[in-house]
Amino acid sequence: MKDIGNDADFRQVLQALDPMQQRQVAAVFVEHVLSLSGDKRLDHVIRTVADSEASEFELSGALKTAKAVTFDSHARCGAEGHWSEQAGYFVARAVVAACTPPAQTRAGGAAWQAAMSARMAHTSMLIDDVSSEQSAHTECEWQYRAMRDYLNAQAEGK
Amino acid sequence: MSASLDKGINALKQQVDATVAAFFSSCVHCGICAEACLFYTETGDPERTPINKTEPLRRIWKSEYTLMGRLGKLFGLGKKVDDKLLADWETLVYDSCTMCGRCSMVCPVGNDITLMIRKTREGMAAAGHAPEGLIGASKRSVTIGSPMGVKLPALLAQVRHVEEDTGLKVPLDVVGAEYMLLLSSMEIMNFPEFIGAIAKIFDRANVSWTISTEAFEATNSGIQIGVSDIAAELVQRIVDAAEKLRVKTVISPECGHAYMAIRWDGPNLVGKKFGFKVRHVLEVLDDLRQQGRLKTSGMEKGKLTYHDPCQISRRGGVIDEPRRLIDMVSDNFVEMPDHGKMNWCCGAGGGVSANERADEIRLKVFQRKKDQFDAIRPDAIVSACSNCRIHLEDGLEEYNMDIPLLSLTEMIAEHLAGDDRAGAA
Amino acid sequence: MTEIELLNWARGPGLQIATIIFVAGVVIRIIEILMLGRKPNLAEAKGSEMSAGLKTMVSRTVPDRATFKRSSFTITAGYFFHLGLFITFFLFAPHILLIKDVIGFGWPALPTPVVDAFAVITIISLLAVLVNRLTNKVMRYLTNFGDLLTWFLTLAPLITGYIAFHRIGFTAPTLLAMHILSVELLLVVFPFTKLMHAFTLFLARWYNGAISGYRGVAS
Repeated sequence: MKDIGNDADFRQVLQALDPMQQRQVAAVFVEHVLSLSGDKRLDHVIRTVADSEASEFELSGALKTAKAVTFDSHARCGAEGHWSEQAGYFVARAVVAACTPPAQTRAGGAAWQAAMSARMAHTSMLIDDVSSEQSAHTECEWQYRAMRDYLNAQAEGK
Repeated sequence: MSASLDKGINALKQQVDATVAAFFSSCVHCGICAEACLFYTETGDPERTPINKTEPLRRIWKSEYTLMGRLGKLFGLGKKVDDKLLADWETLVYDSCTMCGRCSMVCPVGNDITLMIRKTREGMAAAGHAPEGLIGASKRSVTIGSPMGVKLPALLAQVRHVEEDTGLKVPLDVVGAEYMLLLSSMEIMNFPEFIGAIAKIFDRANVSWTISTEAFEATNSGIQIGVSDIAAELVQRIVDAAEKLRVKTVISPECGHAYMAIRWDGPNLVGKKFGFKVRHVLEVLDDLRQQGRLKTSGMEKGKLTYHDPCQISRRGGVIDEPRRLIDMVSDNFVEMPDHGKMNWCCGAGGGVSANERADEIRLKVFQRKKDQFDAIRPDAIVSACSNCRIHLEDGLEEYNMDIPLLSLTEMIAEHLAGDDRAGAA
Repeated sequence: MTEIELLNWARGPGLQIATIIFVAGVVIRIIEILMLGRKPNLAEAKGSEMSAGLKTMVSRTVPDRATFKRSSFTITAGYFFHLGLFITFFLFAPHILLIKDVIGFGWPALPTPVVDAFAVITIISLLAVLVNRLTNKVMRYLTNFGDLLTWFLTLAPLITGYIAFHRIGFTAPTLLAMHILSVELLLVVFPFTKLMHAFTLFLARWYNGAISGYRGVAS
């Protein structure tokens, strides 16, 4: 099992996953930062995303809801921005990435995009919370560990 | 910023020059400007006729700068400018106008009505009749450095994230770099991947660039609210940083009014020519393309169209560059009916999106853009302004249309040649 | 005053006074504008002001397609009456003779029946324009006393000229006097109304083209 110690490896491993796996991994990343969003709609959406039996109809409904959350939570141009709220915006973006169909996903794949947005959510939280013991890299490390655990579980044929 | 009616009237007086006088002298009340303004076409409200929005300025021009007007004033005749007029006009001048410039393109006698509305805002703001949201944004711009309150630590956090994502260094405060990049708060907060896209493109094209930690904000709230003093102060910060770092060119990012503020208004606000050039990021990318330093691979699947941000295209002059760039990565590009310099505004610029009171009308007038998209049914819409992007997305969602919005710079970055991750979409 | 005396006054002192007020008024209005000046543009230019300004002075005469579709009545009616005014004034033999007396040369006239037809077309266009002004939502909102006054002042010479030519209702001298007096009224009021656009629109269009041209946009 190749060790994941940097982003180049991380991205390579993620991109090697099939669309279903990417969705599941994305869901894992999102769940870790879900508490940073106050929007309850995302709870239901992420359950749909993580469900391997979810139908296309359910997924597209989930995508629509997630997008709606991003519009409600983004910083308005010119309005006073609050980074702790912005964290919620990035969580929503991570969810959008997780349920975007492969044909429409931007470079790197759904899981990579979700991972990046999840890190952004974490970073945003830190900007407002200067007393935190964590650093921006904490989330990154956690994601590598989570990926390793997922791959191990897959290898053991869960 | 202590406001008063007297200050407002004085501000309006100062705004009248030969152009304003020529324009007001020529208006024949034909009403054609209304049909160019999406705030009229989508609401049918004649008050929103562009030339009508300039009424406060017109009254001052008439009573102070015309023979008949001055005679009339002597005898107590003629219409006055008072607080009631300004209060009544606030929603016309701010909520119902993005200063998009379409009216100026169609007026048969040649009036630059947009310019007149911009000047009218100077008087409105000085008299205290500007929207709450804009006043707040301006205050934050002056005291914090960003209309949204984005401070340096936040920028640094985003920079760190971008460096992790791309594996590239984002050069800060490099003396002697060729380019100094500005960023809008919208990009820093909502689309930090823009910074990553620039980093990748510049790294691949071997461009010497930097961001100044002392002046990184591109958005200019002074322009939107219409207070030239604030606008000038914000520009001066950029000038100071650019001179300190001795850069050759300042880059305005994917933000509409930022370009107008720094490229066209900037030197006139601070009263001095710049010792450096100012270019929009699309102009820089197009230059790189021309020099052969920007190589892409792969083509976007699907039909693309381009939404021209008003301040960059019609009011800014950057019309052909984005199309040449899109041609590099798309062979299925379709123009909207009314494109290029006659494209329709997204409805959110010029301070409208910072004004919560204008939310309803902003979404209502989006119908105009919807009609444009319906006519060509694109698979994706490309644009080069973060505000346009987010408000087009908002509008599309409101009208149940599922068309992704793409940033042109980010799209180019995803197609950089030699990148084994390119062309995934 | 007999009708001959009236006619002589209208043709003589009346015309002189009206012309002086007209010329002085127009000159004052234009000086009023130019005296205000314009600050120089310190930004780095992307295009030429002068050539862009000159282009717009001409190009703004032609509306773009989408604008024409949305305002076709206003634009079409506007073109009809402007063209009609030009033809009935500048291409009518008696008028050309009058101009020749003043500036020393003239030019070929259109056949009188043609001019006559255009006079009718122009009158109808102006009536249509008024109906449009009073029924179109935007125009109704914008319309003020000045708009109605100038409409009347523009129509009067056409109608009085037509009935003078066709000898309707009054004797020839009276009809002619009415026509000339209506023109003098127009001349005297002209500089103080939006009719000044006939001169100032060239300034406005130039400024518009120049401002946009500086930024590299053809407006």
